[in-house]
Amino acid sequence: MKNEENLAYFLNEAKTIKPRELGKKLRVAFLASSTINGFEETMRVKCFQKGIDCVTYVADYNQYNQEILNQDSGLYQFKPDITFLILDTRHILGEHFFSWHIVPHEEKPKFVETKIGEIKKLCNTFEENSKSKLVITSLQIPSYSSYGISEQREMRGLKEMVSEINNELFDNCGRLYTNHQIFIYDFNEFISRFGEKNIFNYKQFFSGDIKISIEYIPKFVNELMGYVYAISGITKKCIVVDLDNTLWGGVIGEDGFDNIKVGDNPIGHSFVEFQKRLLALNQRGIILAINSKNNFDDAIEVIQKHPNMILREDDFACVKINWDDKVLNLQKISQELNIGLDSMVFFDDDPINQEYVRESLPEVLVVDLPKDSSQYAQIITEMKEFDILKITEEDTKRGAMYLGQKKRKELEGKVTDFNEFLKQMNIVVNVEKANSFSIPRISQLTLKTNQFNLTTKRYQEEEVSKFSSSDNKIVECVQVSDKFGDNGITGTYIIEKKNDEEWIIDTFLLSCRIMGRGVEEIMMNQIIEKARLSKIKRVKGKFIPTTKNKPAENFYEQLGFEKENEFWVFNTDNIMNKPEHIKVKKNE
Amino acid sequence: MSEKLYQIISKVFNVDSSKISDDTSPENLEQWDSFNFYVLLDEIENEFNIKFNLDETLDIKKIGDFKILLEKNGVKI
Repeated sequence: MKNEENLAYFLNEAKTIKPRELGKKLRVAFLASSTINGFEETMRVKCFQKGIDCVTYVADYNQYNQEILNQDSGLYQFKPDITFLILDTRHILGEHFFSWHIVPHEEKPKFVETKIGEIKKLCNTFEENSKSKLVITSLQIPSYSSYGISEQREMRGLKEMVSEINNELFDNCGRLYTNHQIFIYDFNEFISRFGEKNIFNYKQFFSGDIKISIEYIPKFVNELMGYVYAISGITKKCIVVDLDNTLWGGVIGEDGFDNIKVGDNPIGHSFVEFQKRLLALNQRGIILAINSKNNFDDAIEVIQKHPNMILREDDFACVKINWDDKVLNLQKISQELNIGLDSMVFFDDDPINQEYVRESLPEVLVVDLPKDSSQYAQIITEMKEFDILKITEEDTKRGAMYLGQKKRKELEGKVTDFNEFLKQMNIVVNVEKANSFSIPRISQLTLKTNQFNLTTKRYQEEEVSKFSSSDNKIVECVQVSDKFGDNGITGTYIIEKKNDEEWIIDTFLLSCRIMGRGVEEIMMNQIIEKARLSKIKRVKGKFIPTTKNKPAENFYEQLGFEKENEFWVFNTDNIMNKPEHIKVKKNE
Repeated sequence: MSEKLYQIISKVFNVDSSKISDDTSPENLEQWDSFNFYVLLDEIENEFNIKFNLDETLDIKKIGDFKILLEKNGVKI
């Protein structure tokens, strides 16, 4: 284990970190039924390393019931963004953990029901009293049953009973579509990865009720980081890969088409598995790109024609195979895809390239890829940086959307007049009031959109949901399609109806893939037309500058808004320019 | 070896090794709390590749006791 990964390191680092002014803020609460010393320290350090200033609240030992059930508790006063409730099987089962076999059959269902009822009550009370996300760890399925090998012959043996409680948690708390607040972390995933004998140390348990051993605390906290990244909206969007010895074994320029290793032998198998993992992430919405020093023709031939390749040309949204500088290529990929460098992960087997990119572009997450390719698949599956709370339809379509984007670029290159290009695109914009299908996506857009975002306000699903049902707010989104395909829901705005005369633009954003084609102008026109219909005189909004939203800086001015103090104001008696190449459909 | 032990202690308790002696104990070292002590035990076990018995760990009252215990387990201090 590397020194910087052990708990002693995190405990000491936690003492030295100080909040920064510009960092993202996050309030995290921990509740548990056992000792969780070291958890909050590790999380604060891990957050700090990712640019998040994390403040924590740790409930007293085994006080989780009181903290959740009492409305005036320290937990609710703390106002967390994320709350982790770490439950454990021994505590929940009590004596039954040891002697479930002596419980009469007819009493078993009642016990399960009671335990589920207790957890549900905690969930409901929590939802009533807090806006925080609540992540509950599921119960560890015991590796030992008091029934011995006859466990499997019993109705409701010990393990089956614990699974039953877990399934109820997954179904009723984790999976409910209407529930945007509660998530279940599958603790058995952690146990099966690292093993109970490692995670549970009897000596530490007897000494201090430590149920996750000291050595494994940092690994457990790392599991929870997936939720932190997702809720803070710092999930990675794009994976950039090198080719030689990263996607296949060997060097195409030296070994040639027939001798590089993909499939067919042990080394080749490791690369195939790595490619399958990349493809799975791509299907989930992570964009892939290539950054490789090679003769283009040699390398692209492998991608197009090698029988064992998993990833093909169309899986990559951007391909840079040339002899240019790798940093320059990364910058170009970032520009062409309109994805910030800080949303990129770089895989390259060469330690010199890794170091060079790390030094030159510190925003890019450079994976510490070892020499041994058999480790690649494991490394990528253990990364938490790609986690999102809920995979939306847009995510699963994203690969195809970027492919459309690549083809749009090709057309743009061919047509010399930009207006002519726009006309040929046949853009259609669907304007729609937020509904239960679009709300998760709208929240995701507010969390992830950085460039064309006038106010950069981040909203969780339940907030968007509340706004959309409020009489004082308008929440609408736009779905954009053109002759190359559907771009999905890519823009949204939230309007606050201040009074009978004035509306305020609370949020206005458009995914950077779409900006610059007139869709943003169409969206603003929608707002103004709607305001006119409601006899509203003035629509106004702020531009809140961030380090990233410069592309939206002059937007109000271009559309004829006038500056009044901190606001940009549009008088609805005036006419707003409206792009004519876009067809608008309304579904309000 | 003694030096290695002191290095671990200084790292876990985050104090200069010059401030550590055989008589260092929870009474005279503020950083030595019950949880830190388990972290220290874990680090020492890993570093010297040994496992203490539970009763052995309960007898540790000061740093000097670690040395006695390590020697008992065949580690030359």
